[in-house]
Amino acid sequence: MTEVEIIESIQSGNTKAFSILVERYQEMVFRTAIGFIHNKEDAEDLTQEIFVKVYQSLGSFMGKSEFSTWIYRITVNTALNCVRRKKIERFFDFSDEQLQPVLHQQESADNPEQTMINDESDKLISNAIDKLSQKQKTAFVLSRYEELSQKEIAAIMQTTEGAVEQHLQRAKVNLQKRLTSIVGK
Amino acid sequence: MNTDKYINGYIQREKEIKPNPFLSTRIMSKIEAPLAKRVKVWYSVAVAASISIVIFLGVQLGQITTPDRNTALNINDSEIENFMYYNNETHE
Repeated sequence: MTEVEIIESIQSGNTKAFSILVERYQEMVFRTAIGFIHNKEDAEDLTQEIFVKVYQSLGSFMGKSEFSTWIYRITVNTALNCVRRKKIERFFDFSDEQLQPVLHQQESADNPEQTMINDESDKLISNAIDKLSQKQKTAFVLSRYEELSQKEIAAIMQTTEGAVEQHLQRAKVNLQKRLTSIVGK
Repeated sequence: MNTDKYINGYIQREKEIKPNPFLSTRIMSKIEAPLAKRVKVWYSVAVAASISIVIFLGVQLGQITTPDRNTALNINDSEIENFMYYNNETHE
């Protein structure tokens, strides 16, 4: 069953047909969400939010682009909004952030010291990714997490391949600048 | 380079995270229950409307009992009953 047929079926009242789209694109959306959010629970919530948006805007899908491109676009926009929302929430609430390393350490207590070092470096990398500009982050996540080509990323970001290449290059330089002092060259 | 190695390792670990197997069920149940959301919206509207009505009625009631500022009060202290008579044992 093609995407167009599924959409027609959903629009004629068969809500169950949407589960085919969910099954087909769930992992892709979740992986992208993880790239932006870096947290499993939040990524699951975000995935749910994205699919609700996809369902509500199915009528606006014209078929001019690939269905996957359209879903990626919704995913990226919703993820960027979510990151912005989380930043505001984090500004007012530090308790969860402070508790998380302690809770995480208890889960895998094989080598607490190594776990702590890994957690710390993971946190530094995720912070460095978060500090990238929206365009750089989008290009970086789609390229590294989804392994999409520059052409596909350009279609999602509605820009040129050259611009995508530039965003990726700048993202790489910025990440290296931020991480070299911590993990070495 | 070391940073590349760290970043690649980090991305690889994140890519290996799998969503909850019931995530699709969760999504579908959310989509199939849009009525509940609509009820919730109407519930919020009803609460907001009742608070507004209560505030409006409160202001209206407050305006009814506005004192007449033209009336002058003439209180003569000497006319006030002296309670000392009832508190002092010697007067019993």
